[in-house]
Amino acid sequence: MDIPKPASPLVNEHHCSNLRHKGMYVMSVPDPDEFKFYDRYDATHYWCTCTQKALGPDGLSVHPTTCQHGGERGCCE
Amino acid sequence: MDSQAPAPAQHPKYAWPEKPRLIGTRVSRIDGPLKVTGRAKYSYDILRPGMLYGRIVRSPHAHARLKSIDATAAEKAPGVKALLITIKPGDKVLYPGQEIGALAAATEQQAADALRLIKVEWDVLPALATVEQSMRPEAPQVFTPANTRRGTAQEDGNLDTGFAAAAHTVEGTYSTQVQTHTSLETHGCICEWNGENLTAWVSTQAVHGTREGFAAGLKIPQANVRVITEFMGGGFGSKFGPDIQGLLCARVAKAAGAPVKMMLDRKEEHLTTGNRPSAFARVRAGVAADGKLTAFDAQTWGTGGAGAGSDYPLPYIYTFPNRRRTHTDVYINSGQQRAMRAPGHPQGCFVTEVLMDELADRVRMDPMEFRLKNLPPLAPNAMWAKYFPMGAERINWKSRHVTGDPTPGPIKRGLGCSANRWGGAGQGARAHCEIGSDGSVVMRCGTQDIGTGNRTIMAMVVAETLGLEVNQVTIELGDSNQPFAPGSGGSTTAAAVMPAMRVTAGKARDALFERIAPQLGVPVDQISMGVGTVLVSLSTRDPLSDAQSAARSGQAPSSRSISWRDACRLLGTIPVSVDGQWERGLSAGGTSGVQFADVEVDIETGITKVRKIVCVQDCGLIVDAKTAETQCYGGIISGLNYAVFEERILDRNTANMVNPNMEWYHMAGQSDIPEIDVVLVDQPERGVIGIGEPPAVATAAAVANAIRNATGVTLRSIPITPDRLLTELERAGGTN
Repeated sequence: MDIPKPASPLVNEHHCSNLRHKGMYVMSVPDPDEFKFYDRYDATHYWCTCTQKALGPDGLSVHPTTCQHGGERGCCE
Repeated sequence: MDSQAPAPAQHPKYAWPEKPRLIGTRVSRIDGPLKVTGRAKYSYDILRPGMLYGRIVRSPHAHARLKSIDATAAEKAPGVKALLITIKPGDKVLYPGQEIGALAAATEQQAADALRLIKVEWDVLPALATVEQSMRPEAPQVFTPANTRRGTAQEDGNLDTGFAAAAHTVEGTYSTQVQTHTSLETHGCICEWNGENLTAWVSTQAVHGTREGFAAGLKIPQANVRVITEFMGGGFGSKFGPDIQGLLCARVAKAAGAPVKMMLDRKEEHLTTGNRPSAFARVRAGVAADGKLTAFDAQTWGTGGAGAGSDYPLPYIYTFPNRRRTHTDVYINSGQQRAMRAPGHPQGCFVTEVLMDELADRVRMDPMEFRLKNLPPLAPNAMWAKYFPMGAERINWKSRHVTGDPTPGPIKRGLGCSANRWGGAGQGARAHCEIGSDGSVVMRCGTQDIGTGNRTIMAMVVAETLGLEVNQVTIELGDSNQPFAPGSGGSTTAAAVMPAMRVTAGKARDALFERIAPQLGVPVDQISMGVGTVLVSLSTRDPLSDAQSAARSGQAPSSRSISWRDACRLLGTIPVSVDGQWERGLSAGGTSGVQFADVEVDIETGITKVRKIVCVQDCGLIVDAKTAETQCYGGIISGLNYAVFEERILDRNTANMVNPNMEWYHMAGQSDIPEIDVVLVDQPERGVIGIGEPPAVATAAAVANAIRNATGVTLRSIPITPDRLLTELERAGGTN
């Protein structure tokens, strides 16, 4: 059976499992031609599913670069 | 990852009809009468027995550390049933309106009164209100690890070669403002517990995603959560989960032992529920004498608020063979950005398209001809070279004068144009269809209609597939107990859901034929669908020959028809009940469009009147021409607001928003709406593609270029308000 997945780079084994962004709920299909019309960019809004806002349980902003296992934040799962 | 090319390359079993009866026609929204009569119940309208009213305790400061909080008086206030404080002394807040607790009371007034009784002492800290403040070397470090996040430089080609080939260069700094979503229905929900099970009526773009969010945030099983969104008053990308107010609402409802309604007010919306980030671009670009772009070099930055990004695509669409760009996210003490109708695209479009007009003037070319010279090759998902001439014809582009209207007097006319693109490919929706013995058809899908007309186009596809009229189909959506469908974002809903409708209705039709074939005494392959009828080939024995039915239908003698109801009656007591899902080959992605603006500017008052917008837009197979057009209308009005009205304004000392309402946060009124001429380009061979976002992208740039054409002054910053326009006119020494 064809089971599509969200076109999302998250969550992988490095990221906190509580990190979220819209692309994880919207099952878009990547357009392979997209980056013929402009270069890659990241306009993503991230949030923590525990707090349901853009700040984690520790009060700091959430982002893939900081919400990683082995990082300095103690709240990652 | 499961990916596919955007264009359908297969011939699916349930392919779109070659000669559709309903698809592509103009069908009015099936829920229109419910909405205009007030019978449609939005989350805001839900009333539950014994329901309390919740309010959120918020920080009044942009940056502060909590010294103490005393909610004793509030807890004892009349009507208060539950109170929750989520901050402790020593904790910091990073933006005005940050959530620090919630309460629920018997009435809205009692809840508001109780909020005022909470005594909070803050140690107010220096706040960053602007990107300039945040980027200063001496700025206090407010954010961890820094106030800015610098991206990696993107480079292609050779900049030195590109600028060496340029006959002319343009240098300038372009900027766009912070725009808030300003959904007509505010964020919020009603939460009701039954033991350990939660039912939540939420204004959301993702009922299934919101169920997952409630479960994760409350640490309860997803099976215990049901999310309902029958009608929804807009989200534009900002409503993808329960949000913090959802969790607080659920918690105070649990504590109070009663349902709680917690819908935000307009100020809370502006402060805390997202926005489109600002964008700044310091650009140097080169063009050869023949009008070919040669080089683009940019440093860009912007703010998405407290710790959130602000990136956007740049340059946009046009081909600069040699380019370099570095983007820096700048953090300030304001509410964070969220996805907003084509995230990043309006910013990149504005910067690039205004620059294009300036470069065109340098080489003394018509701006549209200049664009045509620098577009990517024509392709199904890149149709600008075809659409620009189409739009030019509709706007009467040949009447355009060179930059600066030479007409005497204070009223200046001008024309401008721009281009947009978007993806709009979706997948993954599932559905369940039942056909009853009374002929009723119910299609259930856990998608949501966020105001786009999803419910209507779902009914159209089902009706088309079953040979029925739209009003013979019942669509049930907006409930996480229904089959899974993805969230509505990225303009993907139509492309995700319509194939599921087609496939599931097709399977239901096949199942119906299988069930009734023995009773008709014919092989199933001798049964087909008519319009309101089931057709039976007469090439074999027909024990249920129905002369009356055949006479009514007027079918050719080779077949007879049975009415839909009579055919369904053969089902007896057991309905047809089938599941289906999205399949490849029925949808695609990659849209393109262009817009033209005709404006009138009073150079004495600085007031711009947008007279007309022409929009040429594709979206693959057009399901409902009427709802597709209305998506363009909405997007264009959003773009018009971006061009000349909307702007979040922060106090530069406190970082508090000074216009958090709908009085001073300006938006177009009825008299500001121009004539909007939408030309939809049908591409049936591509399948369904979403159209919610692309029309919102290009309007601001087209309007800005039209104002430039009218006045002769280049405005590299939006919104183009009267004061800004007059300032630029003054700086330029007036107009000719």
